[in-house]
Amino acid sequence: GSMKAASICSSDQAGCHFLSLANLFDRVIQHSARMHGISNDLHSEFELYFLPSKNQIGRVNRNCHTSTILTPNGKEYAQRIAREELTEVILKLLVAWRDPLWHFHQNMAQQLTFSHFSSNKSLEMSDMVHELQKGVQKVAEKMQTLGIISNSLGNLGSPKALLASDGAEWRLMNDYDLLYCFRRDSNKIQNYLKILKCRTVPEHGC
Amino acid sequence: MAVSLSSIVLLLLLIIALNWLPAPGSAFLIDRDPTTSSATLEPHFTDCISRDQETFRCWWSPGGFHNLSSPGTLRVFYLKKDSPSSEWKECPEYIHKNRECFFDANHTSVWIPYCVQLRGQNITYFNEDDCFTVENIVRPDPPVSLNWTLLNMSPSGLSYDVLVSWEPPPSADVGVGWMRIEYEIQYREGNATSWEALEKQPHTQQTIYGLQIGREYEVHIRSRMQAFVKFGEFSDSIFIQVTEIPSKDSTVPFTLVLIFGIVGVLIVIMVIVASQQQRLMMILLPPVPAPKIKGIDSELLKKGKLEELNFILNGGGLEGLPAYATDFYQEEPWVEFIEVDEEDAEGGDKEDNCSSDTQRLLGLPHRNTEGFSAISPPDDDSGRASCYDTDLPEHDTQMLMVSLLPGQPEDDEASPDAPASETSERPLIQTQIGGPQTWVNTDLYAQVSNVMPSGGVVLSPGQQPKIQENSSGSERETQKGGKPSKEEQKKNEPRFQLLVVVPEGSGYTAENEARQTSTPPSSPVPGSGYQTIQPQAMETKPAATTDASQSPYILPESPQSQLFTPVADYTVVQELDTHRSLLLNPPPSQSPSLCQQQHPLKAPMPVGYITPDLLGNLAP
Repeated sequence: GSMKAASICSSDQAGCHFLSLANLFDRVIQHSARMHGISNDLHSEFELYFLPSKNQIGRVNRNCHTSTILTPNGKEYAQRIAREELTEVILKLLVAWRDPLWHFHQNMAQQLTFSHFSSNKSLEMSDMVHELQKGVQKVAEKMQTLGIISNSLGNLGSPKALLASDGAEWRLMNDYDLLYCFRRDSNKIQNYLKILKCRTVPEHGC
Repeated sequence: MAVSLSSIVLLLLLIIALNWLPAPGSAFLIDRDPTTSSATLEPHFTDCISRDQETFRCWWSPGGFHNLSSPGTLRVFYLKKDSPSSEWKECPEYIHKNRECFFDANHTSVWIPYCVQLRGQNITYFNEDDCFTVENIVRPDPPVSLNWTLLNMSPSGLSYDVLVSWEPPPSADVGVGWMRIEYEIQYREGNATSWEALEKQPHTQQTIYGLQIGREYEVHIRSRMQAFVKFGEFSDSIFIQVTEIPSKDSTVPFTLVLIFGIVGVLIVIMVIVASQQQRLMMILLPPVPAPKIKGIDSELLKKGKLEELNFILNGGGLEGLPAYATDFYQEEPWVEFIEVDEEDAEGGDKEDNCSSDTQRLLGLPHRNTEGFSAISPPDDDSGRASCYDTDLPEHDTQMLMVSLLPGQPEDDEASPDAPASETSERPLIQTQIGGPQTWVNTDLYAQVSNVMPSGGVVLSPGQQPKIQENSSGSERETQKGGKPSKEEQKKNEPRFQLLVVVPEGSGYTAENEARQTSTPPSSPVPGSGYQTIQPQAMETKPAATTDASQSPYILPESPQSQLFTPVADYTVVQELDTHRSLLLNPPPSQSPSLCQQQHPLKAPMPVGYITPDLLGNLAP
């Protein structure tokens, strides 16, 4: 019942807000779960084409362009930092992946090596990042409205400000590394959103 | 160009070689080459596993170097690549008996690559493949608290569905959402070697469909992080077995009881119907009042056995009629008697009766064809509405009735009574006009002895049909005997003058004259007539042919309808009834108007009716 409509609210204003916030959280969490699933599928499919037997994790030179973003690397960290920070981290990650995934999809569509199935997934992945970012922005605004988080986030509406650097470092990554990095980051986003929800509206499914 | 091409090819080959060549040492994250002998195996990590994505453990093995197996000889170092300037650090916690290195939550960072290595005294055993990120080595614990419930049974009772439910592993922090686990159920039947796996799903319950009754199933579950690869260990197995459901037996006797109950009810209904058949028939099919003919069984009429009927009427009727009439008349005065004509036998042709009546009146022998059709005696119709409607026949009937003398069954006995009967006939006639139906045994025909110039007809006392006589032969004789007596009476006593208007009576009158002239009483034409008419009566009739004087004049009459078969001309008054009317032997009654034609072998229906039960008394 996480996709309940907001019209369920009847009388209590505060309760209604909380209910709709919980619904928003559920929606974005479902969205992020799907996004992570697609990224995993694409990554596995890439491994079938390129170097399937070797464990690529050990390659020390692998560097994701999002490595500069400070992200909590553990559950306790994620539970300890402020909600505003957590929300900001999520948004930063999402913003950082919009352009690379779009270009990745463009490359995949042109290359005939990949199946139609992969091409559709890349497009879906690219769209999902965009949708998820807008959704999380709405959640943030809702939380700001409810006073859960302060307005210190400032201009969340402008994604450009969130970019750590406007350099196109992501262009240096090959497709496989890109998929690997995105798979990792989508897992991060998923976890952060879940923790944020349980910290904000804990009684709804936590 | 060639150089560039060759360099590219070499580069490719090098890349491939680097990728495909086995690295020094063997990493735990890739499959070990089974051909590698354990003797030359270096110390290596066997596995690194995280159960809750917050801590992880690594296990190592000394390989072939047994001298390094003692604790402390090999040391674990790890590298956490969270910054470019990271360094190798030693294992934060050793568990030597397991050759295990445990990384607690403080030392565990997710999404950050880790690399581990073993270091001996001077040798470092490192494999690049032994690098990982924590989320990729997570193998969740199996679920706990497995149990199953029966969902439903198939209609055939041979298979059933089971709902298996469980709890998520306590080590995995699913509540916070730190781990999202999906489960995979596997089950196998009894001692089967292969397991059946159901689709992975994240909920803590799942339905297994189509298990068979009587077989034992083994079920276990394992967990996995959503969108990841590595499964955890299998849970402990639970066993599912459902034996035969006993509820099925309860339905079988129930159906038997139902069937027996229905059969019993049907039997009871049939018994009731059989026992109360008469009453039910009365209720469902109320009897239609049947015409009651004195001395005649309606069954005989239906069957068209006119001969028998006539026989009965002639023979048995004559004899038993007085008694019958007495009893009958006394007991059931209200019974109305209707005349039954020959319709049953020949389709209800009243003209047939007419001919016979005419013959009877005239005492003419019954001729099948010629002669007698002209005579149309009046119809003494106590029940025939058609005949009765016409005034003429009624009038004729009256006339005839008057002439009918209540003759005695015996030859001479009737004579003294004749006058009395004759005199009483007058009122009889009148009464008859009014209620002809009350007449029981009335002979509506009489012999016209003389025709007056004025047109009146002198009727002679009618002959008494000896119906009551026992034997048919004796009947005829008595009839004949009676007729002569009547003849005498006729002569002795001047007739009362009656007007008989018979439209067709030309022949009739002529015959009457002829009759008159003939001294010897014509043999009871009925007798002879009967002979001709009724085959059976004819048997006895030959004896009566001696009295054939009357026979040629008497039209054959059918006795079947009445007890007194013969005697068309004269009637013997049997007795007086309570209404002061004469009980005459019922003559065949016919409507004169209808008696236009001659009817061969038509047995006129006698007047009067008897009910079947009374007929039984009269039947010979």
